Amino acid sequence: MKVSSPVRFALASGVAMGALALLSAAALADVPASCVKGVDLATLGPTSIVGQGPHGEKAASVDMLKLSDADAEKVKAGHFKVGISMQTVNLDWSQLQVQGITDTLKKYGVSVTGVASAEYQVDKQIADIENTIQQHPDGIISIPVDFTATAPTYKKVSQAGIKLVFMDSIPTGLEHPKEYASMVSADSQGNGQIAAQILASCVDKGGTIGLVNFGVDYFSTNERTKGVREWMQKNRPDIKMKQVDFTDPSKVSQIAGDFLTANPDIKGVFAVWDQPALDTLSAMRAQNIDIPVTTVDLGLQSAIEIAKGGPLKATGSQRPYDQGAAEAMAMMNALIGKETPAWVGVQSLPVVQSNVLESFKTVFKKDPPAELTDACNAAKPACN
Amino acid sequence: MTDRIARTVETAVPERSRASALAQTLLRSEWPWMLYLAFVILLVVFSFASPWFLSIDNFLNIGRQTTLVSIVAIGMTFVIIAGQIDLSVASALALSGMAAALAMAHIANFWFVGALAGLGTGALVGLINGALTTRLAIPSFLVTLGTLSAARGLAMMVTDTKPVIITNERYFRIFGEGNLLGLPAPIAWTLAATIGGVLLLHYNIFGRRIYAAGGNPTAALYSGIQIKRVTTWAFVLTGALAGLAALVLSARSHAARPDVVQGMELDVIASVILGGCSLFGGRGFILGTLLGSLIIGTLNNGLVLLGVSSPMQLIIKGAIIVAAVAFTKR
Repeated sequence: MKVSSPVRFALASGVAMGALALLSAAALADVPASCVKGVDLATLGPTSIVGQGPHGEKAASVDMLKLSDADAEKVKAGHFKVGISMQTVNLDWSQLQVQGITDTLKKYGVSVTGVASAEYQVDKQIADIENTIQQHPDGIISIPVDFTATAPTYKKVSQAGIKLVFMDSIPTGLEHPKEYASMVSADSQGNGQIAAQILASCVDKGGTIGLVNFGVDYFSTNERTKGVREWMQKNRPDIKMKQVDFTDPSKVSQIAGDFLTANPDIKGVFAVWDQPALDTLSAMRAQNIDIPVTTVDLGLQSAIEIAKGGPLKATGSQRPYDQGAAEAMAMMNALIGKETPAWVGVQSLPVVQSNVLESFKTVFKKDPPAELTDACNAAKPACN
Repeated sequence: MTDRIARTVETAVPERSRASALAQTLLRSEWPWMLYLAFVILLVVFSFASPWFLSIDNFLNIGRQTTLVSIVAIGMTFVIIAGQIDLSVASALALSGMAAALAMAHIANFWFVGALAGLGTGALVGLINGALTTRLAIPSFLVTLGTLSAARGLAMMVTDTKPVIITNERYFRIFGEGNLLGLPAPIAWTLAATIGGVLLLHYNIFGRRIYAAGGNPTAALYSGIQIKRVTTWAFVLTGALAGLAALVLSARSHAARPDVVQGMELDVIASVILGGCSLFGGRGFILGTLLGSLIIGTLNNGLVLLGVSSPMQLIIKGAIIVAAVAFTKR
């Protein structure tokens, strides 16, 4: 066969693409931004942990986990070893957690035997934990990939006399303090409140907001949406709320776009984490909609969007490094036989245009990359 | 008498053959009008059910939302007609997007650098698929299952799973957010891919060879068609179109992410089959594929407009797709 026809086609389409590209027009609509200014950063967000733990417990603050000098000596003398079992190590979130844990443990002379990554698979995590038990560590810090199937394996940990600290959730049926020492998580409800408070400052009296919610029953995302709803009902009962649920995170752009088409009265959007918020932004750009959006969690791209001063106004960020540090502290308390609280909440961090660079440093423990500082410089003086 | 007939045929052929070729193109399926009918029924039902459905803006929404699946499905039509399958398209799309964004970030921040990198990477994945399938005679199902995994892994590895930010405004306008010929860019690219696909499949010798390769490979071989080469080109085309879809997606989201569109290959294959293609090769047409993609997109859109809960959406969508295939295939 002569290959000339596909080659001709490729050439022709190349030319066509070039021509189409040259014909491109239309600029992006400018996005006015004035709404966040009404909120005082110093008083933004809850002053303490507002949410409740999975079993309805009240949150203990991180300060309760401080070690006295005598305690610190005890930890050092113990030459303890701790294993870590993660759901994945491919997220910024989990990498920062592990870094927070290992940095803090190292400070007190505790060694880390290894970091296992379950790749979200239950059977892999069960094997990971069983293997870690075989290394006879003094403690294990872990995030369960599943609430029920991993529970019997976690029970084996306490039966082997190993202390257990959870991050973010507790498998079903495990009891405190017999079967685990502590659970440390972000204050998801508090993060939701931050997002709600800023969104409310951008919506006129009697306006309607849309909630882009995760339709799968999951503790931390449920808590975020609950935080938004409760804050609105208490502080801005005039605002009406509509909600759309997604179950497949890759379809948010379509679902949010259609949701806004069917509800043109919506004047502001809360999205349950940063990626759905970014997908909502892309749908809004396509449909020429310019309304404020707030969310929870901070990533590089969401930080850049906030820095630019576009529709993404704010996020209530987790502090995974600090959470990791708190998990390490809880573990060391348990190792020297001190009583540990069932649930420790790590306080939320409000991020807006004026503090985005500093917040990035706080969350990621490193200087912001050039893309973020460039975006911020272009939006000076509003961005800092 | 004979003379007259001969002359009539001579003069009438060019015009008639063109008209019948067009008709054939539109109707190259056993029950194509059923497909058009199914689409119209869907439009009518949603128009009555939701006050927001029947508007230009909403149709533009549907057009934009179906862009990725439509563009890739046009390539997939060639592959499936050639009797093969390509499961790697979603991964190829993710990898091409990363290549485009990285090229603009590290080589030169010009839109065509990103475009070349994206299209080239997609085409390369296609070439690997095609070469392995035809030269090593491994079934394409297995080859592309492998590249599905490997390309996704590579996309994740290049930046350690982090997204790559794109800052080129021109790139955003050309592929994602601007207007081309009065149409939103994603829709214009879908249209361009469709026209290109129709010309190549239905009005070109390459298209006939694709049909021959899938319909009856033995006969094709004895007719002097180089099946291996034709099949490889079909894979390259599909890869390049996945690259084009990657440009549209990354321009719309202002970044390339390695974890995008997981599972999209199933939507793509569903569109192609719904559009009248035979999974066993040899049969199918481009407009049918576009219609298949639009039917699925319209379903997604309409069900959200109606406020149907998301688990219910999945059930209804599944039922309607199976019913539509049964209805149109008979």
